[in-house]
Amino acid sequence: MGSREASAALSLQGLSKAYGSTLAVDRLDLEVPRGSFFGLVGPNGAGKTTTLSMATGLLRPDAGTAHVLGHDVWSDTAHAKRLVGILPDGLRLFDRLTGLQLICYSGLLRGMNRGVVTERAHELLGALGLADAGGTLVVDYSAGMSKKISLACALIHAPRLLVLDEPFEAVDPISASTIRQILEGYAASGGTVILSSHVMDLVQRLCDRVAIVAGGEIRAVGTLEEVRSGMTLEERFVHLVGGATDVGEGLSWLRTSSD
Amino acid sequence: MVAHIVGLKLLLLRNGLRRSTLQRVGMVLGALYGLGVLVAVLSGLIALRFELPSDVARTVITIGGSAVTLGWMVMPIFAFGADETLDPARFSTMAVPLRQLVLGLLLSSMVGVPALVTAVLGLATVITWSRSVLALVVAPVAAVVAVLTCVALSRVISTAFSAISRNRRTRESVPVVMVLLSVGLWVVGSSIMDRLATPGLLRRITDVLGWTPLGLAWSAPADIVDGAVGSGLLRLSLAVIVLVLALFAWKSLLRGALENPRGVSGGSPASRDAGLGWFGRVPATPTGAVAARSLIAWRRDPRYVTSGALMILIPLGLLLPTLTGRGSFWTLAMAPAAGFMLGWSTHNDIAYDGTAFWGHVSTGVSGRADRVGRLAPTAMAASVLLPGYATVACLLTGRWSYWPALLGIGLGFLLSGFGVASVMSALQPLPAPGPGENPFGAPPGSSALTVVTQAVAGAAVFVLNLPLLAIGVGALLGRVWMSWLCLGLGVVLGSAAFLFGTWWGSRIYERRAPELLATLSRIR
Repeated sequence: MGSREASAALSLQGLSKAYGSTLAVDRLDLEVPRGSFFGLVGPNGAGKTTTLSMATGLLRPDAGTAHVLGHDVWSDTAHAKRLVGILPDGLRLFDRLTGLQLICYSGLLRGMNRGVVTERAHELLGALGLADAGGTLVVDYSAGMSKKISLACALIHAPRLLVLDEPFEAVDPISASTIRQILEGYAASGGTVILSSHVMDLVQRLCDRVAIVAGGEIRAVGTLEEVRSGMTLEERFVHLVGGATDVGEGLSWLRTSSD
Repeated sequence: MVAHIVGLKLLLLRNGLRRSTLQRVGMVLGALYGLGVLVAVLSGLIALRFELPSDVARTVITIGGSAVTLGWMVMPIFAFGADETLDPARFSTMAVPLRQLVLGLLLSSMVGVPALVTAVLGLATVITWSRSVLALVVAPVAAVVAVLTCVALSRVISTAFSAISRNRRTRESVPVVMVLLSVGLWVVGSSIMDRLATPGLLRRITDVLGWTPLGLAWSAPADIVDGAVGSGLLRLSLAVIVLVLALFAWKSLLRGALENPRGVSGGSPASRDAGLGWFGRVPATPTGAVAARSLIAWRRDPRYVTSGALMILIPLGLLLPTLTGRGSFWTLAMAPAAGFMLGWSTHNDIAYDGTAFWGHVSTGVSGRADRVGRLAPTAMAASVLLPGYATVACLLTGRWSYWPALLGIGLGFLLSGFGVASVMSALQPLPAPGPGENPFGAPPGSSALTVVTQAVAGAAVFVLNLPLLAIGVGALLGRVWMSWLCLGLGVVLGSAAFLFGTWWGSRIYERRAPELLATLSRIR
């Protein structure tokens, strides 16, 4: 293990994953320094979710390694998993539990003390504005509430690294600002956050480091200023990823003013 | 437009098959089985043509046809949610004229194995009735009406049902009601079977069914063959009226579904439960947490509630022979049966989690905690049911010397079932209905596969307990010491199988947890 892997919060090397004949992630390298607020942006199907799943132990890579704070995710699994909190996208929750029960479940599964778990769970519910919904079954939650409860589950064991896949999708503006405040506080106190998103504005406001992924590869990576290179993140993204079609004079029949 | 809807159904059927090889294998096995049944029934129908008098044909076709029609009506409830792809509510944003939608959905319901089989059987009755010229004219018409009535009634039920079940609570309580209803039907059915020998009973059933909407069309040609032309034509006209009424009812239900696609659900009152519930009562360990989560699921998730209800009710069914005075032998099997069913019932438990299983993978919970925790609900149920059922059986038979043997066999089945289930559920999740879906539904093509796996699991548990059963027979023959030996051996052998099974299952789990999650994301 090199010193680089030990110093980074997350270090991915040569990570690859193929689904049948489609290469979802292709020999991807990525270093996320400790204490950074890292944004992973990319179009749909770029391989963001696959990458984050392999980095957190949810999906076994075909090749390559992933290290969390120096611990190999796929050989020193128990240690690595203790340091990470994750919020995956598109996976179910144990939705027959109430919000409070679900948070406690995540804590107890990690072998934490019941007193600590209950205390933290109530604090988290309060901080996320879910204090009144703690006794409601998760199946009856809205999409935004589900995201918030997943975040609470990811935070319960005070991880050193937070990996969040699309944490702001389907979240209303008020909840989004709550989540943002919590994440900013967490990063300010030395934690590392990695989030994926395709809302460029948000990434630009929140993150200090950014990577642009497309076709399973990193297209650009560095501090926000380096990646933007003078443009807005969105312009730079469209420029790098390409494929935006110029509508021009097409769809003329859609212009109702013409008749 | 009608052709489009039928085409859509064909496309859905084809795309559904493209998902996995296992599903395709399952589908082929299912089709082969169906074909076998079809050929058998077909040859029966043709043989009836040469059977004199025509009374037998009338009885068989009226009762059989009514049963098929009833089956079509019940099917959408049991299969509810399995195929919502042609849910009328999905057409609400497209301006399809109602008349064309009715016709299109009706014809698309005719695409598929059940409809094809019913149509072939319906038309085969024409051969049975081909005894006179007039019968040859009436029988095909009656057959077409009968088959269309099956499909139309089925659509009425499914559309009405989907309207009342938009609300989660209503929808999820339906399976439990269905289980109770089926048990009721089974009791009624078996008591009719008991009295089948009563002279004239079948005849009376035939007469009654022949005048109900279920049997009108099926029995009309029988009258013609017997020379009762007036009565035959009356039945046929009534059958047509039933069909038309069904179509009208369906059309108006459809209109309702289209105009109010989300149903009347003004938001169901959310279920609430303050506090930690089971999480506050179990030991604060990962195993305890898994146990608490499972216990809550067995109470709140309809998929678990229905199978739990069945596991309590089926052994109770073994009381029937004793209560109706036909010997008490089967009643002795109550405790062993309960042990058997409870033991391996969790053999597909991880599939029931669906992708929520990521919670176990991400926290790195140990295989042992996952395997053992999941057994808590069935273990708790067994701790009450096994001694309870053994006691009931001994009370009814008065043979208290059997008690240790009954409990011993039950425990042997239970514990070795735990072992088998712990290994199997870590090996490969089988397609299962998702949370909140119909507990009786399964993705198409998966049922044959599931049946094979369950047969293997059941056989494994049975074979593991053969020595125990042999000693149990000795105990039944009156050797009291063998009864106690049975209890001791049940505990020892069962515990050994349990310890080995959970140990092996834990190893597989720890090696394959991410692969299990990947399979779960694929099959759902």
